[in-house]
Amino acid sequence: MSATITLSLATRPEHSLVADCIAPDRLAGLTGEEIAALPVLHGGRVATLGDFFQVRGERASDVRIEGDLTQVEALGARMAGGALTIEGSVGRDLGLGLAGGRIDVRGAAGDNAGGAGPGAARGMTGGEIVIRGNAGAETGTRMRRGLVVVTGVAGEGTGKGMIAGTLVLCGGAGPGTGRFLKRGSIVAFGDIERPATFRYACTYRPPHVALLLRYLRTRYGLDVPERHVTGRYERYSGDLAELGKGEILRWVGQ
Amino acid sequence: MITARTPAWARAAALKLTGFATSVIGCKCEAGIECELAARDTPDGRPGLSVLFLTMDKASLPEQLIVRLGQTVLTCPTTACFDGLPEVPDRLAVGKALRVFGDGFQASKLIGGTRYWRIPVMEGEFLIGETFGMQKGVGGGNFLILAADADAALAAAEAAVAAMTNRPGVILPFPGGVVRSGSKVGSRRYKSLVATTNDAFAPTLRAVTTSELPDGVNSVLEIVLDGTDAPSIEAAMRAGIRAACLPGVQAITAGNYGGKLGPHHFHLHKILA
Repeated sequence: MSATITLSLATRPEHSLVADCIAPDRLAGLTGEEIAALPVLHGGRVATLGDFFQVRGERASDVRIEGDLTQVEALGARMAGGALTIEGSVGRDLGLGLAGGRIDVRGAAGDNAGGAGPGAARGMTGGEIVIRGNAGAETGTRMRRGLVVVTGVAGEGTGKGMIAGTLVLCGGAGPGTGRFLKRGSIVAFGDIERPATFRYACTYRPPHVALLLRYLRTRYGLDVPERHVTGRYERYSGDLAELGKGEILRWVGQ
Repeated sequence: MITARTPAWARAAALKLTGFATSVIGCKCEAGIECELAARDTPDGRPGLSVLFLTMDKASLPEQLIVRLGQTVLTCPTTACFDGLPEVPDRLAVGKALRVFGDGFQASKLIGGTRYWRIPVMEGEFLIGETFGMQKGVGGGNFLILAADADAALAAAEAAVAAMTNRPGVILPFPGGVVRSGSKVGSRRYKSLVATTNDAFAPTLRAVTTSELPDGVNSVLEIVLDGTDAPSIEAAMRAGIRAACLPGVQAITAGNYGGKLGPHHFHLHKILA
C-alpha cells in the first residue's frame, strides 16, 4: 500500500484515449499490476492502461496523473471518492457523472467536464472539480449536486440544464451559460452572456459566496481576491423558462 | 457561532439569544456568550461570538435553541449562524428546522461537506448551518464570595468575572456573570417551590436561621459557571477565585448541595493547589 498512486503518461496516444477506469475509489483496492491491466479505449480499440501509463504505487485513493493528457478523456468518470490530481491539461468528459471526491486539474479541461453522459438525465451528483485554466463547452451540464470551479474562461453552454449544485466561473463564460437552469448557482467574476430568460432580482453580498470562496482558498489554495469574497453581486433568477429556482450571481465590485 | 458585519451586531444578536437563560430551574436553559471570535476564526471571515446552550436533557435543547434562534439571530441584521462543534457526532437539526421560514424559497448549499441553508429575508439572506453539534456539558459550577460588605463583594465578583470571561468552553449565564440570590433546593415553607433563597448564606437571616456565614461577613455574591467539560470549568474557577481575593473578602466557598447537584465535584482547595 502506498500513499499515492502516480500515473505518468509514457506513450502519447495517437487518438483519443478513453480512460474512464481512472477513478481513485476504484483504484484504491488494486495492485499496480491490476491497475496497469485496466481496460481503456484507444481510437475505439480496447487497450490497457499500462500500454500508455507508467504506474507507481498501489491501493491508494489519492491518485496523481502526469503528462500531456489533452487526448485523454473521461478521467475520473463516475468516481465516488478520493482525490484525483491532474498535472496538466485534460481532454473531454473529465469527471463525467462524478458522484464524490475531488478532482484538481492544474491546466485546462475539454468539453463536458462534470457533465452528463449521452442520454443521461444527470451530470455530476456530488464531489468537487477545480480546473485551474480554461474549460470547454458544456461544463457542468445537468449537474445535480457538487461544485465546479473554472479559474479561466469556460466555453459555451456552461451549466446548461443544471439541476442543482454550484459553478464558480472566475473568468468569462461563453453564450448560453445557465440556459435551462432549474436550481443551483452560477457565480461569475467576469462577463458571461446571460440568457434572456433570467430576471434581475437585486444587488447584494450573498453570504454563502463568501463562505464558498474562503473554502476554495483554504481547501485548494486558490488565489481568490478579497474583493470577490466581500464584494457585491447582481442576482439574476432563472431560468424562468424552466423551474426558475436557480441563480446567476455576477460580481459587480466592492 | 454568530457572525455579523460588525462585532456590535454579532453581540446584539448573541445578547438577545442568551437572554432569560440564567438557570434551568426557571428558564429551561442556561446560555451565555463563550468568547469573542476574530474574523480569521469564523467560517465566513466576519467577526463573531460563540455561544453555549445547556439544558437538563437532550430533548429540551432543540425546542429552546430553534425558537430562540428564530426570534433573535434570524431577525438581527447581517448575522449568520454556524456550528461551533462540527466534529461532535450528536447532531441537532437547527437550520433544517428554521429553513421553512423561507416558505419554499429557501435553498441549501453544500460547502466543504457541510450543508447550509440560505433563507431569503427582507435584508438579503440569512445563512445558517443545517445541523449543530450537541454534547454533554457541565452545569452548576459555582463559588461564593463572602465579604465584609456589599461593595467589597461586588468588586471581588467583578474581578472574578473579568478573569473568567472569554475563556473557551465556559459561560457565566447570570447577569454580568454574578448571582446575588443564590438558592437552596426546595422550600422550608412553600412545598410547591423547587428553589428558594439560600437562607444559610443570607446575612440578614443570620440570627433566625442556621447560618453558615462566618463572623464579619455582611454580603455574599455567587459566580455560576457552565462549560463543555470539567477541566474548562476548573481552569476558569481557578482564575476567578484568585482574582476575587481582594481586600474585604473574608472567605470563598462553594454551594455543595449535599453533593447531589451532579457527578462533577469541584473541590476548591484542589483546584487552587
